[in-house]
Amino acid sequence: MTRRTPYPVNQLQPGAPIYWRSLEEREQYAEPSAFDALQKERAAEFTADELAAPSETNGFDRRGFLSIMGASMALAGAAGCRRPVEKIVPYTQMPEQVIPGIPSHYATVINRRGEALGLVVESHEGRPTKIEGNPEHPASRGAADLIAQASILDLYDPDRAKKPSRLSVDSSWTAFATELETELNSFRGEGGARLHILTEPTNSPTVLRLRAAIARSFPNAKFHSYAPVSNSNMREGARLALGQPLQVHVAYDRARVILALDSDFLQTETANVRSTRSFTGGRRLHSPRDTMSRLYVVEPSLTTTGTNADHRLRLPASQVFAYTAALAAYLHDNGTNLGEVGEAVKKLPKPDAVPAEWVSGVAKELMQAHGRSVVVAGSRQPAIVHALASAINQALGSVGVTMAYTTPVDPAEIDVVANIRELAEAIRHSDVGALLILGGNPAYDAPADLGFGALIKKVPFSVHFSSHVTETSKATTWQLPRAHEFEAWGDQRSIEGVYAIQQPLIAPLHDAKSDVELLAMIAATAETNGKELVHATLAETFHNGAMVEADWNRVLRDGVVRSSVYQAMTAVPIKSPEIATAIAAEIAKQPPTAADPLVKGVVEVAFAPDAKMFDGRYANNAWLQELPDPITKISWDNAATLSPKTAAENGVSDGDVIRLRHGGQVATIVAWVVPGQTDGTVGVHLGWGRTVSGRVGTGRGFDVYPLRTTESMSFVTGVRIEHAGERYPVSQTQEHNAMEGRPIAREATLATYKQKPHFAELQAPPPKTLPLWKKVVYAGHKWGMSIDLNACTGCNACVIACQSENNITVVGKEQVAKGREMHWIRIDRYFVGDGDNPAVAYQPLACVQCEEAPCENVCPVNATAHSPEGLNDMAYNRCIGTRYCANNCPYKVRRFNYLDFKGEFWHGSELVEYDKLPKTVKMAQNPNVTVRMRGVMEKCTYCVQRIQRAKIAAKNANRPMRDGEIVPACAQTCPADAISFGDLNNPSSRVARLSELDRKYKLLAEVGTAPRTTYLAKVRNPNSEMKG
Amino acid sequence: MSYFQPIPELGEGPLVAEGTNFKVVTETVSRVTERKAPRGWWICFLIALSLVGVFTMTIGYLFWKGIGIWGNNSPCYWGWDITNFVWWVGIGHAGTLISAVLFIFRQRWRTAINRFAEAMTIFAVICALIFPGIHVGRPWVAYYMFPLPNQMGVWPNFKSPLLWDLFAVGTYFTVSLMFWLVGLIPDFATLRDRSTGRIRQMVYGVLALGWRGSNRHWKNYERAYLILAGLSTPLVLSVHSVVSFDFATSVEPGWHTTIFPPYFVAGAVFSGFAMVMTLLLIARTVFKMNHLVQMRHLELMNKIMLVTGSLVGYAYAMEFFTAWYSGSEYEMYVFINRATGPYAWAYWTMISCNVICPQLFWSRKLRRSIPVMFVVSILINIGMWFERFVIIATSLHRDYIPSSWGYFSPTVFDICTYLGTFGIFFTLFLLFIRWAPMIAIAEVKGILPEADPHYDPHGSHGAHGSREGSHGYALEPQGAE
Repeated sequence: MTRRTPYPVNQLQPGAPIYWRSLEEREQYAEPSAFDALQKERAAEFTADELAAPSETNGFDRRGFLSIMGASMALAGAAGCRRPVEKIVPYTQMPEQVIPGIPSHYATVINRRGEALGLVVESHEGRPTKIEGNPEHPASRGAADLIAQASILDLYDPDRAKKPSRLSVDSSWTAFATELETELNSFRGEGGARLHILTEPTNSPTVLRLRAAIARSFPNAKFHSYAPVSNSNMREGARLALGQPLQVHVAYDRARVILALDSDFLQTETANVRSTRSFTGGRRLHSPRDTMSRLYVVEPSLTTTGTNADHRLRLPASQVFAYTAALAAYLHDNGTNLGEVGEAVKKLPKPDAVPAEWVSGVAKELMQAHGRSVVVAGSRQPAIVHALASAINQALGSVGVTMAYTTPVDPAEIDVVANIRELAEAIRHSDVGALLILGGNPAYDAPADLGFGALIKKVPFSVHFSSHVTETSKATTWQLPRAHEFEAWGDQRSIEGVYAIQQPLIAPLHDAKSDVELLAMIAATAETNGKELVHATLAETFHNGAMVEADWNRVLRDGVVRSSVYQAMTAVPIKSPEIATAIAAEIAKQPPTAADPLVKGVVEVAFAPDAKMFDGRYANNAWLQELPDPITKISWDNAATLSPKTAAENGVSDGDVIRLRHGGQVATIVAWVVPGQTDGTVGVHLGWGRTVSGRVGTGRGFDVYPLRTTESMSFVTGVRIEHAGERYPVSQTQEHNAMEGRPIAREATLATYKQKPHFAELQAPPPKTLPLWKKVVYAGHKWGMSIDLNACTGCNACVIACQSENNITVVGKEQVAKGREMHWIRIDRYFVGDGDNPAVAYQPLACVQCEEAPCENVCPVNATAHSPEGLNDMAYNRCIGTRYCANNCPYKVRRFNYLDFKGEFWHGSELVEYDKLPKTVKMAQNPNVTVRMRGVMEKCTYCVQRIQRAKIAAKNANRPMRDGEIVPACAQTCPADAISFGDLNNPSSRVARLSELDRKYKLLAEVGTAPRTTYLAKVRNPNSEMKG
Repeated sequence: MSYFQPIPELGEGPLVAEGTNFKVVTETVSRVTERKAPRGWWICFLIALSLVGVFTMTIGYLFWKGIGIWGNNSPCYWGWDITNFVWWVGIGHAGTLISAVLFIFRQRWRTAINRFAEAMTIFAVICALIFPGIHVGRPWVAYYMFPLPNQMGVWPNFKSPLLWDLFAVGTYFTVSLMFWLVGLIPDFATLRDRSTGRIRQMVYGVLALGWRGSNRHWKNYERAYLILAGLSTPLVLSVHSVVSFDFATSVEPGWHTTIFPPYFVAGAVFSGFAMVMTLLLIARTVFKMNHLVQMRHLELMNKIMLVTGSLVGYAYAMEFFTAWYSGSEYEMYVFINRATGPYAWAYWTMISCNVICPQLFWSRKLRRSIPVMFVVSILINIGMWFERFVIIATSLHRDYIPSSWGYFSPTVFDICTYLGTFGIFFTLFLLFIRWAPMIAIAEVKGILPEADPHYDPHGSHGAHGSREGSHGYALEPQGAE
């Protein structure tokens, strides 16, 4: 700092000009005595030594100190009161097609349980924010399921693995490459004999190509594929029945009768989006003259598919084979020739648990359908059930009508359980020198009897390639970050072969590589870049190596190669003798069935993939964690489901912690009583109780993998059920299951509908009283929505779609327990009828945008008001949070920000402003939707931002709005196409026509709210000859 | 103010005990404010002040974190906050009723309790008014409720009952405060005149607004008092009617009821009287004011409680009838659920306290028993709190759509907030008894025989101010208005 001469204030020179402020002062100074006095005064205040130059020893004079103090105070003040400086740099060169504020859409594809689901991703200035289905893609046809919808949050998960780590110490890809090369070179001599690569089953041609390349470099290297939930049984069944592992395709929309054998094809099986589309397609009713399919479901636990059944039989999973055999035997005896299979099944005693009508009645229906029927076996059922189903379908003439076969994407894929057992054996015999685990989490989800987590540690060099640090990563030498599907190039073929390119939406957020890049690294191929690798596959597979840029661009734009569909096989002969032999073997194996399934203390446990966590890989996704289970409505946990009778028999009630013990295997889990569960069985969901996950997923729910062994991957009988002597708090979003006889989710049977098409409105007619005031005339647009309860399967995809589109916050388990979840749309699930095997009614409920909205009248500050187009708008800025509107909402669809949930959730109890959120979480948010602060009310807006966007687009193009131009997030993702939206003033719009269908009704219209959302009542199609 | 002449034929007796004269009245009331505060007062004051501390901290935390610290949830968006609000407003009802309505109807016995009741009203309304301010999600913009001109051109929604409520309670508070302060003027002057210290003289001097007790002052004062009483009377009916509109105008089953306004007013009078009774019994015992607040007064209050309690009971029954008669399944369910559902315990607490308890007062012996009336008054206070809770929680927790049904459980912060308002109430109340005349000196004097100086033809009755025999009353009928 500079040293300046102090001001000579104490040396007032006589005769120096005096500065004066008033005449009096001047006179005062003019007197010499006064001048002296002034001089003395000043000298006293600023003594000479204080003002002298700083001494050499001291170094810090008063002035200097004050300067520093002053400067630092000023700086502190500046830092405290100014906004942080952020540079806003405009584009000097505009990137092509990026217009700030206008989102772009890119086609890509993600893997959903072995199926490629084509997507279109909305991207704001290079930041993907919202998933939609790709209308061009056959697996999607514009729809997506709940996990696909939630995958955007996985991309931005702040807990993802960020850089490669070696033994939990941060490292780099270069270090890994060096070590990998050394390792690989050491195996090269023996052709890679001690090199084992464990992958998940794949549908990616590039991965398969690179695998082949690795196999060329290391001919003796072993590839294993394992996934805890797979379609191995289906493939093995096809191998048994048809001689080759074929993919089964079902056209539910063409079937009149569907029999699902423990198959949850609407939710957790492969191709659920496609199945939902076609299933609801076969049940769409526009008039009483229309027909609809009839669904029979045989299953142990209540599933989404079971809740949509017209008839549902509760049967332990172990007895589904016996049931199928009995059905086959009946068909064979009554004119449907099943050949040797028919003879073989007759030897099986009829299962006691099955009512006779379920054999004869269903068989008659199947036969009467003349080929327009289909029998579907679930992936949980053993190969023999799949083979038997194929034989029945063949005999009924369904193949080629309601179902078909194609070759699978990876014909070499073999049974996953055998595969991982083989690998475990190899490790145990120290035959594995290097183990590369590419994806998956075997330490968590491999069969418990293998003790895979411990085995991995025995391998000298092990690598785990995964998006997160998981249980497996903790056991391996290396953890390598795997790029998210939206960050990396790749490709996938759908089950019928349609090729789609996985196009990255954003550069990897972290130091991650894609699957193909890592494989290329191992294979040491010429191309190392993901794009080049995929480009090469496409050129090789579909263009014989010669592909022009236009072809590539077209594929990128459309997201699909249309010509890539496999040839459907409809004339594959059934190998009856082989099936008959297998049936005979199975009969010999079958234990005698217990007459009474209710044995105290002993149950059969069936494992099912979770509708949200799937096999556990989505555990760190807060949207999915908070989403209620479609059946139990439990959020943030899983539970073992027991029937009321089983629970009573074992003295278990909701919230008791139980131990399920089979041999040495034990799983501890909270019990929950669910009507519809088969007596004597317990249903459990995989994918919970992760011990190494992120901040969201760790320790949520209960891990049931410890009970799952190589022998019992699907279900296990003779499990001891014990009390653990504890209680566990469970949060549910819906605690009351009955409709209390109220006309809420209205329904009728098809027969009733045909007699009384207006049954729904007759249940609670809208009021006929005249309005108290002049009716508002909506001259311009009049937005409305129609929700077809007959289509809705209760899958919950709309809930996540809405959460993603509207920046809806997650509140956490404790807040859900207090009933403070924020979902704008919810699926109400009601049990109807029989307490043991109830029917289920679903009702998606969001704000119905009442024309006479009770919420609007009571808001003291006008924060919720009606738009000229009839929307019930929320002005968040104006809301003071009296919550009166929510009290007065008969539908209870308003949601209040009781706390600063955005911050609360990520930082525990500590209050954190929105600014302190993990940056990536904020990136997932839709810039067109306000992020609500604590203390304000919010609710469904019919996606007003989309309405505005479409209106602006139409106005810019100077044209009237087209019907279907505005699609709210819920409607867009709905695989069942249950929701439609549009202008009610346009008589030809889809929504206007649907809102006038005979099944229409307005929920709680009798209150006088005049809702804009119209429901179309559900129609069930029961067989009048069956009792249950 | 004029002397109260009891009519023995009607069973009336004097309103003050034998031997009470101007001096006794002035002494009894004023000395409380002049002597050193007794230890008991300090103990109570410190307890009350600690509760204010609890309240302040709770509210601080509430503002910091949000409404989520309370038990409010979906579907019970309102819980203890509005329950407490309505309860305190209800308690604040008796003051105006006693002061204004009884004044207009010339119920002279009110003089014993009116000051007390008015003070209680003011403090209860202060406690009540806290809730609309703090129960909102964003209290820093609570001023949006006021019709303030602003650049956005947005006005409050005048259709909202919550807004009516704000104005109704605000008006009620203002008028009650004015009424109370005007009534205090002559008494403050008395205190001023008795003051020895300079500060006391100054403070009471200011509060007495230059009162000299001139004829003109009295004339103006009585006129002002009458006008304010006239203004307050409709407010007694309006405040709680408007508060009930919060519920009655909604579409919620259990709220949407036309019986609410009279039912709420009856309930408010009921709870207000109960609270006055509780406090009065304590003060009467502690400050030995049996000669001013007589058994007769207490008995009259008990009769009012019996009447209003029965009215409330009738309203409870009528709600059930209306629900059944309406044929609306939602409405019917709410009432069945009230009596038999998860909140049945609250409902039956309410019924026992509000309907069954006051029936004891049919017995003359019981309604003249201090312990009985004390216990009953406390039970009524509890019962009336439960009434509001039952209306709010049981209606909200199970309304139209069963999937949204829930249950409300309070958190420790709900309890602290509620207790905290007691702290505020009692702090203010203790300050009031310590520093202001807790019984209306001037008004009590007005009902003494001395207030009616008259010519005594027999000249046998000694000094002015003595009260001997009752025949004197009958001789001067012009003394009564």
